[in-house]
Amino acid sequence: MLKIRFHGRGGQGVKTSSRILGRAAFLDGYIAQDSPIYGAERRGAPVVAFTRISREPILERGYIFDPDIVIVVDETLLDDERARPLDGVKSGGIVFVNTQSEQAQVENVDDKLFIKYSITDAALRVIGKPIVSSPSAAAAAKITGIISKESIIQATIDELSELGLAEEALERNLRLVSEVFDTIPTPQLKILNGETTPREVIQLEYKGVIYEDIVNVGNASLRRVGNWRIFKPIVDYQKCTGCMLCFVYCPDSVISLDAKNKPIIDYENCKGCLICVKECPLHAITAVREVKIYA
Amino acid sequence: MSETRYKTLRDVPAEEYLLPGSPECAGCGAQLVLRIFLKALGGDAVLVNAAGCLTLLNVYPYTPLKLNWMYTAFASAPAGAQGIRDALDILIEKGKITPKEDLKVVTFTGDGAAYDIGLHAASGAIARGLDFYYLVYDNEAYSNTGFQTSGATPFATSTKTSQPTTLNPIGHEGVKKDLFEIWRSHKPPYIATIAPSHIVDMLRKIERALKYRGPKLFIAFSPCPPGWGSDTSETVRISKLAVETGVWPLKEAIYGEVRHTFIPKVLKPVEEYLKTQERYKHLFHPRRQEKVIKTIQENINQYWQKVREKEKLE
Repeated sequence: MLKIRFHGRGGQGVKTSSRILGRAAFLDGYIAQDSPIYGAERRGAPVVAFTRISREPILERGYIFDPDIVIVVDETLLDDERARPLDGVKSGGIVFVNTQSEQAQVENVDDKLFIKYSITDAALRVIGKPIVSSPSAAAAAKITGIISKESIIQATIDELSELGLAEEALERNLRLVSEVFDTIPTPQLKILNGETTPREVIQLEYKGVIYEDIVNVGNASLRRVGNWRIFKPIVDYQKCTGCMLCFVYCPDSVISLDAKNKPIIDYENCKGCLICVKECPLHAITAVREVKIYA
Repeated sequence: MSETRYKTLRDVPAEEYLLPGSPECAGCGAQLVLRIFLKALGGDAVLVNAAGCLTLLNVYPYTPLKLNWMYTAFASAPAGAQGIRDALDILIEKGKITPKEDLKVVTFTGDGAAYDIGLHAASGAIARGLDFYYLVYDNEAYSNTGFQTSGATPFATSTKTSQPTTLNPIGHEGVKKDLFEIWRSHKPPYIATIAPSHIVDMLRKIERALKYRGPKLFIAFSPCPPGWGSDTSETVRISKLAVETGVWPLKEAIYGEVRHTFIPKVLKPVEEYLKTQERYKHLFHPRRQEKVIKTIQENINQYWQKVREKEKLE
């Protein structure tokens, strides 16, 4: 049985990725199972989805603790203590990371194979929006080496039509799926006796001050939601007249003002909604593609 | 109009009560409304919330809020406000806190709790004359659970539970409840509708409400990018269009007397507003549903016709 785990953030569509992959496997004659896990949080919070593919009936259920393949749709999750995407990957397993890399790069790190490629940039190029659900499924399908291109395309059509996607958008998704499928290599999975990296049990340090942390007002800034961003607002201080519009319309209070009423953006927590870019009457704020490189 | 400290956007208070790092979606209209609302209210407030999107502001062990916050069951936020109000009154009466240390009790819920599930609790609280503020962030559906139809969903909206089909290409066939009028029938001291694009209007309304004792109620237009299918950067633009096309009238009612705080000279065609959101896409694609668009436009025209006639009489 092949076990694939997708890590993304709410809104990126990893649930859909796991479904497309599962359906594609099914179309190719395998038995498949897919399911997502998410908590009470919304867009931006870490989300996990699973696909199991097998020739035999699948009796296993629930979380995949020992994946053969891990697809990291959002590279900032690699540093996220709550997500821990690399936990439990089998020795000889494959990790796909969506990172700033125009060509698909393959490298060995310890006993695992890492594939790096920017499906976000591919999506921006082909669809015009950072849609990463269908290309993630395509990348995963290619990495498995057992799913045909026809099936992944058919599965994308079936799943996205079910979601009510318009024909034109579907067309672009298919172009992207096809492109990603052709770009990603199929390395050989060398799972060594099903050996897995031991899972690390996190011991929460009890300092006796947890209560104090909770009543600490406004401690949410410690969450650093700035890593949700795909585009970053940059202020041109030469053009800025200090009209305060960006400060007023920021839903996340991340814009404060200096003595001349010019904005200071807290990038640690700016989610990149870009209302400030739209509302600035002088176009003094521009959106720049956020570059995060997983090295 | 009476004296106001809010003349332009320069008068928006700098103090933040909602700090960065919340788990709400990027471009959340509801959060923008709450942020400005708290600025106008000041820091001496205690919040009572019912299940909804903004409940997620506080996910253990984090909070972006500087104020105290209580979470109640879906139907009972106004009842929770009653409890806190009573407790504060008793503390003052017993001399445990001074009247200066008193807090404003603020209920905030989504449209699901306000229009449907907690309507009776609000009605009871208003009828009892409870001295509290009620802010409804109206994103016109149960956005928190994935955008299902609520009592606030407008006619012809596509939601998860009112998907346009070949048999029913319209989407939601019902109409949006008029919560403003439901509340107004109780004749509370203050009711207002607000929008996150019209910040000065919002600040002035809250300023006016501060003077009254009893229920002070606000319904806030709250664009929801994932539910409405709009770009996160469009939140304020959509709000502006909603006001300019007449979809969202800005008004207030003092002891039941209605006054519109903004009357558009010429209404922009409602299409301009509808086209900004995927939830109305079925009205234009694959083919234009002329009759439905016309119905929406006529309803808006009729509303403003009545408003203008009434204004002329006065």
